[in-house]
Amino acid sequence: MRQALPWVVPIALLLFWQWASSAGVLPSRILPSPRDVLHAFVTLSASGELWTHVRVSTLRALLGFAVGGGLGLGLGLLTGSVRWAETLLDTTLQMVRNIPALALIPLVIVWFGIDESAKLFLVSLGVFFPIYINTFHGIQSVDRGLLEMGRTYGLSGWPLYREIILPGALPSILVGVRFSLGFMWVMLIVAETISARSGIGYMTMNAREFMQTDVMVVGILLYALLGKLADFLAKGLECYWLRWHPAYQAVR
Amino acid sequence: MHTISSLAQAPTERNRSTRGVAVSIKDVSLAYSGRTVLEHLDLEIEAGEFVAIVGRSGCGKSTLLRSVVSLETPQAGSIIIGTHASRTGQPDVRVMFQDSRLLPWKRILPNVMLGLDSSLAPQARRVLAQVGLAERVGDWPATLSGGQRQRVALARALVHDPALLLLDEPLGSLDALTRIEMQELIEDIWRSRGFTALLVTHDVAEAITLADRVILIDGGRVALDEIVHLPRPRTRGSARFAALEERILGRVLQHRASPENQ
Repeated sequence: MRQALPWVVPIALLLFWQWASSAGVLPSRILPSPRDVLHAFVTLSASGELWTHVRVSTLRALLGFAVGGGLGLGLGLLTGSVRWAETLLDTTLQMVRNIPALALIPLVIVWFGIDESAKLFLVSLGVFFPIYINTFHGIQSVDRGLLEMGRTYGLSGWPLYREIILPGALPSILVGVRFSLGFMWVMLIVAETISARSGIGYMTMNAREFMQTDVMVVGILLYALLGKLADFLAKGLECYWLRWHPAYQAVR
Repeated sequence: MHTISSLAQAPTERNRSTRGVAVSIKDVSLAYSGRTVLEHLDLEIEAGEFVAIVGRSGCGKSTLLRSVVSLETPQAGSIIIGTHASRTGQPDVRVMFQDSRLLPWKRILPNVMLGLDSSLAPQARRVLAQVGLAERVGDWPATLSGGQRQRVALARALVHDPALLLLDEPLGSLDALTRIEMQELIEDIWRSRGFTALLVTHDVAEAITLADRVILIDGGRVALDEIVHLPRPRTRGSARFAALEERILGRVLQHRASPENQ
Protein backbone atom coordinates (compact mmCIF):
# COMPACT_ATOMS: atom_id res chain seq x y z
CA MET A 1 0.00 0.00 0.00
CA ARG A 2 2.68 2.45 1.03
CA GLN A 3 4.76 1.44 -1.98
CA ALA A 4 1.86 2.04 -4.35
CA LEU A 5 1.06 5.48 -2.96
CA PRO A 6 3.73 7.50 -4.85
CA TRP A 7 2.40 6.12 -8.13
CA VAL A 8 -1.19 7.22 -7.64
CA VAL A 9 -0.72 10.75 -8.98
CA PRO A 10 1.33 9.81 -12.09
CA ILE A 11 -1.15 7.10 -13.04
CA ALA A 12 -4.10 9.41 -12.51
CA LEU A 13 -2.44 12.05 -14.72
CA LEU A 14 -1.82 9.44 -17.39
CA LEU A 15 -5.44 8.33 -17.34
CA PHE A 16 -6.61 11.93 -17.53
CA TRP A 17 -4.26 12.57 -20.44
CA GLN A 18 -5.57 9.52 -22.30
CA TRP A 19 -9.13 10.57 -21.65
CA ALA A 20 -8.46 14.13 -22.83
CA SER A 21 -6.92 12.85 -26.06
CA SER A 22 -9.67 10.33 -26.75
CA ALA A 23 -12.37 12.87 -26.05
CA GLY A 24 -10.73 15.30 -28.49
CA VAL A 25 -10.10 17.94 -25.84
CA LEU A 26 -6.37 17.63 -26.50
CA PRO A 27 -5.51 17.68 -30.24
CA SER A 28 -2.70 15.28 -31.16
CA ARG A 29 -0.97 18.22 -32.88
CA ILE A 30 -0.34 19.62 -29.42
CA LEU A 31 0.14 16.39 -27.53
CA PRO A 32 -0.41 12.84 -28.77
CA SER A 33 -2.35 10.41 -26.62
CA PRO A 34 -0.40 8.05 -24.35
CA ARG A 35 -1.46 5.19 -26.58
CA ASP A 36 0.06 6.88 -29.62
CA VAL A 37 3.25 7.52 -27.69
CA LEU A 38 3.41 3.88 -26.70
CA HIS A 39 2.78 2.90 -30.27
CA ALA A 40 5.60 5.15 -31.48
CA PHE A 41 7.86 3.68 -28.85
CA VAL A 42 7.09 0.10 -29.93
CA THR A 43 7.59 0.91 -33.64
CA LEU A 44 10.86 2.74 -33.02
CA SER A 45 12.29 0.06 -30.78
CA ALA A 46 11.18 -2.75 -33.09
CA SER A 47 13.08 -1.15 -35.97
CA GLY A 48 16.14 -0.82 -33.72
CA GLU A 49 16.33 2.89 -34.49
CA LEU A 50 15.49 3.83 -30.90
CA TRP A 51 18.23 1.70 -29.38
CA THR A 52 20.85 3.12 -31.70
CA HIS A 53 19.95 6.62 -30.56
CA VAL A 54 19.83 5.63 -26.90
CA ARG A 55 23.21 3.94 -27.18
CA VAL A 56 24.80 6.95 -28.86
CA SER A 57 23.38 9.37 -26.30
CA THR A 58 24.36 7.20 -23.34
CA LEU A 59 27.89 6.80 -24.64
CA ARG A 60 28.20 10.55 -25.09
CA ALA A 61 26.90 11.16 -21.60
CA LEU A 62 29.19 8.59 -20.01
CA LEU A 63 32.25 9.74 -21.93
CA GLY A 64 31.59 13.36 -20.97
CA PHE A 65 30.99 12.30 -17.40
CA ALA A 66 34.23 10.34 -17.30
CA VAL A 67 36.28 13.20 -18.74
CA GLY A 68 34.67 16.08 -16.83
CA GLY A 69 34.14 14.10 -13.64
CA GLY A 70 37.66 12.70 -13.71
CA LEU A 71 39.15 16.15 -14.15
CA GLY A 72 36.88 17.60 -11.46
CA LEU A 73 37.78 14.85 -9.03
CA GLY A 74 41.49 15.11 -9.75
CA LEU A 75 41.63 18.90 -9.49
CA GLY A 76 39.36 18.89 -6.43
CA LEU A 77 41.63 16.41 -4.68
CA LEU A 78 44.64 18.48 -5.65
CA THR A 79 43.34 21.86 -4.53
CA GLY A 80 41.72 20.31 -1.46
CA SER A 81 44.90 18.63 -0.27
CA VAL A 82 47.74 20.83 -1.45
CA ARG A 83 47.81 24.39 -0.17
CA TRP A 84 49.80 25.91 -3.03
CA ALA A 85 47.51 24.27 -5.59
CA GLU A 86 44.52 25.84 -3.86
CA THR A 87 46.18 29.25 -3.86
CA LEU A 88 47.18 28.88 -7.48
CA LEU A 89 44.02 27.43 -9.01
CA ASP A 90 40.96 27.81 -6.84
CA THR A 91 40.27 31.52 -7.47
CA THR A 92 40.50 30.98 -11.21
CA LEU A 93 38.21 27.97 -11.15
CA GLN A 94 35.67 29.77 -8.98
CA MET A 95 35.61 32.64 -11.50
CA VAL A 96 35.15 30.30 -14.44
CA ARG A 97 32.42 28.50 -12.53
CA ASN A 98 30.30 31.64 -12.59
CA ILE A 99 30.06 31.53 -16.36
CA PRO A 100 26.95 29.55 -17.29
CA ALA A 101 28.20 26.64 -19.35
CA LEU A 102 25.45 27.13 -21.91
CA ALA A 103 26.62 30.70 -22.54
CA LEU A 104 29.70 29.20 -24.15
CA ILE A 105 27.72 27.50 -26.92
CA PRO A 106 28.51 30.07 -29.65
CA LEU A 107 32.21 29.80 -28.84
CA VAL A 108 32.04 26.03 -28.62
CA ILE A 109 30.54 25.88 -32.09
CA VAL A 110 33.34 28.10 -33.39
CA TRP A 111 35.99 26.00 -31.66
CA PHE A 112 34.77 22.50 -32.30
CA GLY A 113 32.26 22.90 -35.11
CA ILE A 114 29.25 20.69 -34.65
CA ASP A 115 30.85 17.27 -34.32
CA GLU A 116 31.27 14.92 -31.38
CA SER A 117 33.98 16.92 -29.61
CA ALA A 118 31.61 19.85 -29.12
CA LYS A 119 29.11 17.64 -27.33
CA LEU A 120 31.84 15.99 -25.29
CA PHE A 121 33.17 19.40 -24.30
CA LEU A 122 29.77 20.70 -23.20
CA VAL A 123 28.92 17.60 -21.15
CA SER A 124 32.37 17.53 -19.55
CA LEU A 125 32.08 21.20 -18.65
CA GLY A 126 28.68 20.71 -17.06
CA VAL A 127 29.87 17.72 -15.06
CA PHE A 128 33.21 19.22 -14.02
CA PHE A 129 32.16 21.94 -11.59
CA PRO A 130 29.73 20.11 -9.31
CA ILE A 131 32.30 17.35 -8.80
CA TYR A 132 35.21 19.74 -8.45
CA ILE A 133 33.52 21.94 -5.87
CA ASN A 134 32.15 19.11 -3.78
CA THR A 135 35.44 17.21 -3.82
CA PHE A 136 37.34 20.33 -2.78
CA HIS A 137 34.82 21.08 -0.07
CA GLY A 138 34.74 17.45 1.09
CA ILE A 139 38.50 17.30 1.55
CA GLN A 140 38.56 20.66 3.32
CA SER A 141 35.87 19.61 5.76
CA VAL A 142 37.34 16.28 6.82
CA ASP A 143 37.16 16.15 10.62
CA ARG A 144 40.39 17.72 11.99
CA GLY A 145 40.14 15.51 15.06
CA LEU A 146 40.30 12.37 12.95
CA LEU A 147 43.31 13.71 11.03
CA GLU A 148 45.05 14.49 14.30
CA MET A 149 44.23 11.04 15.62
CA GLY A 150 45.56 9.47 12.43
CA ARG A 151 48.84 11.34 12.77
CA THR A 152 49.30 10.26 16.38
CA TYR A 153 48.82 6.70 15.12
CA GLY A 154 51.69 7.14 12.73
CA LEU A 155 49.65 7.61 9.56
CA SER A 156 50.92 10.04 6.98
CA GLY A 157 51.08 10.38 3.23
CA TRP A 158 49.08 7.85 1.24
CA PRO A 159 47.88 5.72 4.21
CA LEU A 160 46.47 8.83 5.88
CA TYR A 161 44.82 9.75 2.58
CA ARG A 162 43.35 6.32 2.02
CA GLU A 163 42.16 5.64 5.57
CA ILE A 164 40.90 9.07 6.61
CA ILE A 165 40.90 11.85 4.01
CA LEU A 166 39.23 10.04 1.09
CA PRO A 167 36.52 8.26 3.10
CA GLY A 168 35.90 11.50 4.99
CA ALA A 169 35.41 13.41 1.75
CA LEU A 170 33.35 10.69 0.09
CA PRO A 171 29.86 11.80 1.23
CA SER A 172 30.50 15.24 -0.25
CA ILE A 173 32.02 13.80 -3.45
CA LEU A 174 28.93 11.65 -3.96
CA VAL A 175 26.69 14.69 -3.56
CA GLY A 176 28.75 16.22 -6.36
CA VAL A 177 28.27 13.11 -8.47
CA ARG A 178 24.50 13.27 -8.11
CA PHE A 179 24.41 16.96 -9.00
CA SER A 180 26.65 16.42 -11.99
CA LEU A 181 24.52 13.57 -13.30
CA GLY A 182 21.66 16.02 -13.52
CA PHE A 183 23.84 18.52 -15.40
CA MET A 184 25.13 15.73 -17.60
CA TRP A 185 21.70 15.15 -19.17
CA VAL A 186 20.88 18.85 -19.44
CA MET A 187 24.10 19.55 -21.32
CA LEU A 188 23.61 16.51 -23.51
CA ILE A 189 20.06 17.50 -24.44
CA VAL A 190 21.19 21.00 -25.39
CA ALA A 191 24.18 19.72 -27.32
CA GLU A 192 22.14 17.16 -29.23
CA THR A 193 19.37 19.63 -29.93
CA ILE A 194 21.74 22.18 -31.47
CA SER A 195 23.25 19.78 -33.89
CA ALA A 196 23.56 16.06 -34.15
CA ARG A 197 23.28 13.28 -36.67
CA SER A 198 22.30 10.68 -34.09
CA GLY A 199 21.16 10.42 -30.50
CA ILE A 200 17.91 11.04 -28.71
CA GLY A 201 18.12 14.79 -29.28
CA TYR A 202 18.56 14.24 -33.01
CA MET A 203 15.61 11.87 -33.06
CA THR A 204 13.44 14.43 -31.31
CA MET A 205 14.50 17.37 -33.47
CA ASN A 206 14.07 15.27 -36.57
CA ALA A 207 10.54 14.38 -35.50
CA ARG A 208 9.79 18.07 -35.14
CA GLU A 209 10.51 18.58 -38.86
CA PHE A 210 7.73 16.13 -39.63
CA MET A 211 5.43 17.17 -36.77
CA GLN A 212 5.69 13.67 -35.26
CA THR A 213 4.66 14.73 -31.78
CA ASP A 214 4.48 11.12 -30.60
CA VAL A 215 8.19 10.57 -31.37
CA MET A 216 9.04 13.87 -29.70
CA VAL A 217 7.28 12.76 -26.54
CA VAL A 218 9.10 9.40 -26.68
CA GLY A 219 12.40 11.30 -26.82
CA ILE A 220 11.47 13.51 -23.91
CA LEU A 221 10.36 10.55 -21.82
CA LEU A 222 13.58 8.72 -22.68
CA TYR A 223 15.61 11.60 -21.28
CA ALA A 224 13.52 11.53 -18.13
CA LEU A 225 13.97 7.79 -17.82
CA LEU A 226 17.73 7.89 -18.37
CA GLY A 227 18.06 10.74 -15.90
CA LYS A 228 16.12 8.79 -13.32
CA LEU A 229 18.23 5.71 -13.98
CA ALA A 230 21.46 7.66 -13.47
CA ASP A 231 20.13 9.12 -10.24
CA PHE A 232 19.08 5.67 -9.08
CA LEU A 233 22.56 4.30 -9.72
CA ALA A 234 24.16 7.21 -7.86
CA LYS A 235 21.84 6.59 -4.94
CA GLY A 236 22.84 2.93 -4.99
CA LEU A 237 26.50 3.92 -4.81
CA GLU A 238 25.75 6.18 -1.86
CA CYS A 239 23.91 3.44 -0.05
CA TYR A 240 26.80 1.07 -0.56
CA TRP A 241 29.73 3.39 0.11
CA LEU A 242 28.10 5.33 2.91
CA ARG A 243 26.52 2.37 4.68
CA TRP A 244 28.49 3.35 7.78
CA HIS A 245 26.73 6.71 7.83
CA PRO A 246 23.84 6.98 10.29
CA ALA A 247 21.74 8.68 7.62
CA TYR A 248 22.03 5.60 5.42
CA GLN A 249 21.66 2.95 8.12
CA ALA A 250 18.05 2.26 7.20
CA VAL A 251 19.04 0.63 3.92
CA ARG A 252 21.62 -1.61 5.53
CA MET B 1 52.21 -11.01 27.06
CA HIS B 2 53.14 -9.03 30.13
CA THR B 3 53.99 -10.00 33.61
CA ILE B 4 51.62 -8.64 36.17
CA SER B 5 53.68 -6.69 38.63
CA SER B 6 53.21 -7.39 42.27
CA LEU B 7 50.18 -5.63 43.67
CA ALA B 8 51.54 -5.75 47.19
CA GLN B 9 54.06 -2.98 46.60
CA ALA B 10 53.60 0.50 47.90
CA PRO B 11 51.40 2.58 45.57
CA THR B 12 54.14 4.76 44.14
CA GLU B 13 56.56 1.87 43.80
CA ARG B 14 54.27 -0.18 41.54
CA ASN B 15 54.77 -0.61 37.83
CA ARG B 16 58.31 0.64 37.73
CA SER B 17 59.33 -2.29 35.62
CA THR B 18 57.77 -3.72 32.53
CA ARG B 19 56.77 -1.45 29.68
CA GLY B 20 56.78 2.18 30.70
CA VAL B 21 59.16 4.93 29.66
CA ALA B 22 60.14 8.03 31.55
CA VAL B 23 59.04 11.42 30.28
CA SER B 24 61.15 14.46 30.89
CA ILE B 25 59.59 17.86 30.27
CA LYS B 26 62.10 20.65 30.71
CA ASP B 27 61.56 24.38 30.66
CA VAL B 28 58.71 24.18 28.15
CA SER B 29 57.11 27.45 27.07
CA LEU B 30 54.28 27.83 24.61
CA ALA B 31 52.23 30.83 23.55
CA TYR B 32 49.35 31.19 21.11
CA SER B 33 49.49 34.53 19.33
CA GLY B 34 51.03 36.28 22.28
CA ARG B 35 48.95 34.60 25.00
CA THR B 36 51.18 32.52 27.24
CA VAL B 37 49.82 29.02 27.84
CA LEU B 38 52.84 27.21 29.25
CA GLU B 39 55.64 29.08 30.97
CA HIS B 40 58.98 27.44 31.77
CA LEU B 41 57.20 24.28 32.80
CA ASP B 42 59.21 21.37 34.21
CA LEU B 43 57.80 17.91 34.86
CA GLU B 44 59.55 14.59 35.34
CA ILE B 45 57.50 11.41 35.00
CA GLU B 46 59.04 8.11 35.95
CA ALA B 47 58.73 4.97 33.87
CA GLY B 48 55.48 3.18 34.66
CA GLU B 49 54.12 6.04 36.71
CA PHE B 50 50.49 7.17 36.50
CA VAL B 51 50.40 10.95 36.59
CA ALA B 52 47.22 13.01 36.51
CA ILE B 53 47.20 16.66 35.55
CA VAL B 54 44.37 18.77 36.87
CA GLY B 55 43.56 22.43 36.53
CA ARG B 56 40.73 24.69 35.51
CA SER B 57 39.86 24.96 31.83
CA GLY B 58 42.34 26.93 29.79
CA CYS B 59 45.18 26.34 32.23
CA GLY B 60 47.22 24.62 29.55
CA LYS B 61 46.92 21.04 30.75
CA SER B 62 45.64 19.73 27.41
CA THR B 63 48.22 21.82 25.58
CA LEU B 64 50.95 20.18 27.63
CA LEU B 65 49.64 16.72 26.78
CA ARG B 66 49.36 17.62 23.10
CA SER B 67 52.94 18.92 23.19
CA VAL B 68 54.11 15.51 24.38
CA VAL B 69 52.86 13.96 21.09
CA SER B 70 53.95 16.98 19.03
CA LEU B 71 50.40 18.03 18.16
CA GLU B 72 51.57 21.37 19.53
CA THR B 73 55.07 22.74 19.14
CA PRO B 74 56.41 24.59 22.17
CA GLN B 75 58.50 27.67 21.40
CA ALA B 76 61.09 26.69 23.98
CA GLY B 77 62.16 23.76 26.09
CA SER B 78 62.47 20.05 25.47
CA ILE B 79 60.27 17.00 25.87
CA ILE B 80 62.11 13.69 25.98
CA ILE B 81 60.22 10.40 25.95
CA GLY B 82 62.48 7.58 27.09
CA THR B 83 65.66 8.59 25.36
CA HIS B 84 64.11 10.21 22.29
CA ALA B 85 62.69 13.63 21.55
CA SER B 86 58.93 13.47 21.14
CA ARG B 87 57.30 13.37 17.72
CA THR B 88 53.93 12.42 16.30
CA GLY B 89 53.30 8.87 15.23
CA GLN B 90 55.88 7.45 17.59
CA PRO B 91 55.05 3.74 17.77
CA ASP B 92 55.03 3.44 21.52
CA VAL B 93 53.13 6.63 22.41
CA ARG B 94 49.36 6.57 22.02
CA VAL B 95 46.67 9.11 22.80
CA MET B 96 43.09 8.68 23.91
CA PHE B 97 41.08 11.83 23.23
CA GLN B 98 37.97 13.19 24.90
CA ASP B 99 35.92 12.17 21.88
CA SER B 100 36.60 8.65 20.73
CA ARG B 101 37.69 9.73 17.23
CA LEU B 102 36.77 6.40 15.74
CA LEU B 103 36.60 6.35 11.96
CA PRO B 104 32.86 6.16 11.27
CA TRP B 105 33.47 4.38 7.94
CA LYS B 106 35.30 1.46 9.50
CA ARG B 107 33.77 -1.30 11.57
CA ILE B 108 35.05 -1.80 15.09
CA LEU B 109 37.79 -4.31 14.36
CA PRO B 110 39.34 -2.34 11.46
CA ASN B 111 39.15 0.76 13.65
CA VAL B 112 41.19 -0.92 16.34
CA MET B 113 43.62 -2.16 13.69
CA LEU B 114 44.23 1.29 12.21
CA GLY B 115 47.80 1.43 10.97
CA LEU B 116 48.45 -2.21 11.83
CA ASP B 117 49.21 -5.17 9.62
CA SER B 118 46.20 -7.44 9.10
CA SER B 119 48.12 -10.34 10.59
CA LEU B 120 47.62 -8.70 13.98
CA ALA B 121 43.84 -9.24 13.92
CA PRO B 122 43.91 -11.90 16.66
CA GLN B 123 45.71 -9.46 18.92
CA ALA B 124 43.13 -6.75 18.18
CA ARG B 125 40.32 -9.18 18.98
CA ARG B 126 42.02 -10.06 22.24
CA VAL B 127 42.26 -6.42 23.29
CA LEU B 128 38.63 -5.83 22.32
CA ALA B 129 37.68 -8.78 24.51
CA GLN B 130 39.73 -7.23 27.30
CA VAL B 131 37.63 -4.05 27.14
CA GLY B 132 34.47 -6.15 26.99
CA LEU B 133 33.49 -5.62 23.35
CA ALA B 134 34.33 -8.98 21.81
CA GLU B 135 30.85 -9.30 20.30
CA ARG B 136 30.85 -5.89 18.62
CA VAL B 137 33.86 -6.36 16.31
CA GLY B 138 31.69 -6.23 13.17
CA ASP B 139 29.54 -3.24 14.14
CA TRP B 140 29.71 0.34 12.92
CA PRO B 141 30.88 2.94 15.45
CA ALA B 142 27.60 4.84 14.99
CA THR B 143 25.72 1.97 16.64
CA LEU B 144 27.78 2.10 19.85
CA SER B 145 27.11 4.13 22.97
CA GLY B 146 29.54 6.84 24.09
CA GLY B 147 31.07 4.59 26.73
CA GLN B 148 31.48 1.73 24.28
CA ARG B 149 33.13 4.03 21.77
CA GLN B 150 35.66 5.11 24.39
CA ARG B 151 36.34 1.44 25.14
CA VAL B 152 37.09 0.91 21.46
CA ALA B 153 39.36 3.96 21.51
CA LEU B 154 41.14 2.48 24.53
CA ALA B 155 41.50 -0.85 22.75
CA ARG B 156 42.85 0.93 19.69
CA ALA B 157 45.53 2.59 21.81
CA LEU B 158 46.35 -0.60 23.71
CA VAL B 159 46.76 -2.86 20.71
CA HIS B 160 49.93 -0.96 19.89
CA ASP B 161 51.24 -1.94 23.32
CA PRO B 162 52.21 1.64 24.15
CA ALA B 163 55.02 2.51 26.52
CA LEU B 164 53.30 5.81 27.19
CA LEU B 165 49.55 6.32 27.12
CA LEU B 166 48.23 9.87 27.07
CA LEU B 167 44.64 10.35 28.19
CA ASP B 168 43.13 13.73 27.28
CA GLU B 169 39.99 13.89 29.42
CA PRO B 170 38.91 10.56 27.95
CA LEU B 171 35.99 10.15 30.32
CA GLY B 172 34.82 13.76 30.31
CA SER B 173 31.75 13.17 28.20
CA LEU B 174 30.58 9.95 29.86
CA ASP B 175 27.85 9.55 32.44
CA ALA B 176 28.89 9.00 36.06
CA LEU B 177 28.37 5.23 36.17
CA THR B 178 30.13 4.54 32.89
CA ARG B 179 32.93 6.78 34.03
CA ILE B 180 33.53 4.73 37.19
CA GLU B 181 33.54 1.53 35.13
CA MET B 182 36.03 3.01 32.70
CA GLN B 183 38.26 4.22 35.53
CA GLU B 184 38.38 0.68 36.89
CA LEU B 185 39.14 -0.69 33.44
CA ILE B 186 41.93 1.80 32.82
CA GLU B 187 43.45 1.15 36.24
CA ASP B 188 43.34 -2.63 35.74
CA ILE B 189 44.96 -2.47 32.35
CA TRP B 190 47.59 -0.02 33.51
CA ARG B 191 48.43 -2.28 36.47
CA SER B 192 48.74 -5.37 34.30
CA ARG B 193 50.74 -3.75 31.50
CA GLY B 194 52.86 -1.25 33.34
CA PHE B 195 52.96 1.53 30.75
CA THR B 196 53.47 5.12 31.78
CA ALA B 197 50.16 6.99 31.90
CA LEU B 198 49.56 10.71 31.70
CA LEU B 199 45.97 11.68 32.35
CA VAL B 200 44.54 15.15 31.88
CA THR B 201 41.28 15.66 33.70
CA HIS B 202 39.16 18.37 35.27
CA ASP B 203 37.83 15.87 37.80
CA VAL B 204 39.99 15.91 40.92
CA ALA B 205 38.35 12.77 42.32
CA GLU B 206 39.17 10.92 39.11
CA ALA B 207 42.78 12.08 39.35
CA ILE B 208 43.07 10.83 42.94
CA THR B 209 41.37 7.52 42.09
CA LEU B 210 43.80 6.70 39.31
CA ALA B 211 47.08 8.52 39.74
CA ASP B 212 50.29 7.99 41.66
CA ARG B 213 50.83 11.72 41.47
CA VAL B 214 48.47 14.59 40.95
CA ILE B 215 49.87 17.69 39.28
CA LEU B 216 48.04 21.00 39.33
CA ILE B 217 48.86 23.35 36.50
CA ASP B 218 48.07 26.99 36.89
CA GLY B 219 49.30 30.00 35.00
CA GLY B 220 51.29 27.72 32.73
CA ARG B 221 53.35 26.23 35.56
CA VAL B 222 53.20 23.31 37.96
CA ALA B 223 51.45 24.79 40.98
CA LEU B 224 51.12 21.59 43.00
CA ASP B 225 52.77 18.18 42.83
CA GLU B 226 51.08 15.78 45.23
CA ILE B 227 51.93 12.10 45.66
CA VAL B 228 48.82 10.05 46.40
CA HIS B 229 49.65 7.68 49.27
CA LEU B 230 46.43 5.70 49.16
CA PRO B 231 46.32 1.93 48.65
CA ARG B 232 44.74 0.71 45.41
CA PRO B 233 42.00 0.18 44.50
CA ARG B 234 40.95 3.45 46.01
CA THR B 235 37.48 4.08 47.34
CA ARG B 236 36.03 7.52 47.12
CA GLY B 237 34.23 7.16 50.42
CA SER B 238 37.34 6.99 52.60
CA ALA B 239 38.22 9.90 54.85
CA ARG B 240 41.78 10.20 53.54
CA PHE B 241 40.51 10.29 49.99
CA ALA B 242 38.04 13.03 50.84
CA ALA B 243 40.65 15.05 52.73
CA LEU B 244 43.07 14.87 49.81
CA GLU B 245 40.36 15.77 47.33
CA GLU B 246 39.39 18.77 49.41
CA ARG B 247 42.96 19.95 49.69
CA ILE B 248 43.61 19.74 45.96
CA LEU B 249 40.25 21.29 45.10
CA GLY B 250 41.02 24.06 47.56
CA ARG B 251 44.24 24.79 45.70
CA VAL B 252 42.47 24.81 42.35
CA LEU B 253 39.90 27.29 43.62
CA GLN B 254 42.42 29.40 45.52
CA HIS B 255 44.41 29.88 42.35
CA ARG B 256 41.35 30.94 40.47
CA ALA B 257 40.67 33.62 43.06
CA SER B 258 44.20 34.92 43.37
CA PRO B 259 44.61 38.29 41.65
CA GLU B 260 48.12 37.60 40.29
CA ASN B 261 46.64 35.48 37.51
CA GLN B 262 44.42 38.12 36.09
